[in-house]
Amino acid sequence: MKINDALRTAYEGISSAKVRTMLTMLGIVIGISSVMILMSLGASAQALIIDQVQGVGSNLIFVVPGASKGSKMAAPQSSQGIVIKTLVAADVNALRQEPSILRLAPDVRGGARVVFENKDTSITYQGSTPEFFAIRNFEFARGGAFTNEDVTGANRVAVIGSQLAVDLFGARDPMGKIIRLKNIPFRIIGVLEKKGVGAFGIDEDSLVIIPISVAQKQLLGINYYNTLSIEAQPQYDINFVKDRITKVLRFSHRVTDPDKEDFTIRTQEDVLSLLGNITGVLSAFLSAIASISLIVGGIGIMNIMLVSVLERTKEIGLRKALGAKNAEIILQFLLESVMLTFVGGLIGTLSGGVLSFLISTAIRNFGQPDWTFQMPMSALILSATVSTVTGIVFGLYPARQAAKRSPVEALRYE
Amino acid sequence: MITVSDLTKVYVDNDIVTNALKGINLTIASGEFVAIMGPSGSGKSTLLQMLSFLDRPTAGTIAFENKEMQTLSDAELATFRNETIGFVFQSFNLLPRVSVYRNVELPLIYSVSLPANKRREQIERAVAGVGLTEKLEIAAGKLSGGQKQRVAIARALVTNPSVIFADEPTGNLDSASGKQVMQILKGLHENGKTVILVTHDLATAHYANRLITIKDGLVESDTAL
Repeated sequence: MKINDALRTAYEGISSAKVRTMLTMLGIVIGISSVMILMSLGASAQALIIDQVQGVGSNLIFVVPGASKGSKMAAPQSSQGIVIKTLVAADVNALRQEPSILRLAPDVRGGARVVFENKDTSITYQGSTPEFFAIRNFEFARGGAFTNEDVTGANRVAVIGSQLAVDLFGARDPMGKIIRLKNIPFRIIGVLEKKGVGAFGIDEDSLVIIPISVAQKQLLGINYYNTLSIEAQPQYDINFVKDRITKVLRFSHRVTDPDKEDFTIRTQEDVLSLLGNITGVLSAFLSAIASISLIVGGIGIMNIMLVSVLERTKEIGLRKALGAKNAEIILQFLLESVMLTFVGGLIGTLSGGVLSFLISTAIRNFGQPDWTFQMPMSALILSATVSTVTGIVFGLYPARQAAKRSPVEALRYE
Repeated sequence: MITVSDLTKVYVDNDIVTNALKGINLTIASGEFVAIMGPSGSGKSTLLQMLSFLDRPTAGTIAFENKEMQTLSDAELATFRNETIGFVFQSFNLLPRVSVYRNVELPLIYSVSLPANKRREQIERAVAGVGLTEKLEIAAGKLSGGQKQRVAIARALVTNPSVIFADEPTGNLDSASGKQVMQILKGLHENGKTVILVTHDLATAHYANRLITIKDGLVESDTAL
């Protein structure tokens, strides 16, 4: 049997019951479309996260207190709610002597309500040094950063995010206005450009950034740091700088056994890899859930093909009487099933692509302007492969059932 | 051409044993027009199925020229039917949604590969032979009963088989259409084809030149007409 005869015969088989064919395909269309949408959204989320991590700055290294238990990529203890006080001014002073470091900014964080006149809102405040703005790529819409003198003099000045400026002041100019954090007054000396949600989930447009000395002594009552943000000299390899920082901190903390380190150092690549793993696992998990609908669609195909085999028993008998071999009957019904799933997969891919694009557009327009539409090539290859394999797997049993019929019994079937 | 020895067929369905054929012996020579008659349940259709290599006997042998059915696999039987036998059924067994052309083409898609123009030529010749050239692209389901049976005859002839098996070919036709179909079968016989016909109608059987009557699974009579 020639392949074009086989394809034409299969096409005639499925086109003889158009409504049923379309309904059967619907299961595959929904399944493939769901997988496509989830893979696309997963890729878009991954791209956004990468963009955000890279948008923090370049050549960055972060030091946080506490060791990472188990894997080097495990979360440091300080991020698990444990208060660790081991990153202190002595570490900063030691690291400032390291020539491979271009800039360094310690910071502390806290949550509070910020009050202006009769308006107030919950925010995250960060205490740091002037270098923090350069390291983290913050740009100013109005005014500028506080100075080292503000830090040493513990001056109550603040730089606020663009959204917070709108929330508190509306159309009014925030510059020079006094806001209160924990009832302590701060004069606004700068407003940041819009930046969006940062790599660590902090809304950077609603931040209040104040001199670290004020944050430590007057708001938090601590003398340690939450993070050290470090920008490496561009001529140095980032991993070399990471090693240098490790050596300096081990010396500063008097640690000789690497397993007893009480700090964690992460480069941007480490963060990206970690976040990539998380979003990858999440995408795979969601796609696995979506693929359940594909299995349901496949069972639908098998069911309809079994009904079709029963309905066309006489036709099978006729074909066998006229010379069709078992393999040719199997091929015909298998091709019908694969045609159903392949065309269903094609429609599912197109509709999944269009829906993903519409969802991405909606996300971009309603809350996440940095969101981009992504359609990974792997999703296209996967949908074509999975739809074809579904056709073969779920079409094989009905096809074998068809081929098993004896021509005499099949011709006699009413 | 066809030699049958001690042909036995037993059907077992839910412990009910039916002896459809009880040891039939006969020989059919090439170019004969044989009618097989018998009352309902006599075994005539079972005999036709055995003779046409559609079903295997429970015991006994069937040989077509030098080919013994027992020695052939299912795939070889399928090839044998495709190349050697043409079928005409009482209920036409056409694919109603596809054209006359596609129906007549059906045995050719399972046969040795022919160039497209040669295939078309064979189909058109077979359809012209039954006088339906103008219906070539019409869906088979839209034809009258007589026309459907003529399409079935064209389909049976398209591979140029040496034997035509016709199982009650006039059973679903009015008398005029039935006569037309029988004239075509008679014409085929006159052109050298072996025709084996099952019927319960004596008038139809008289188109043949040999009449075999079956009763209770055995040959009751075998006479020349």
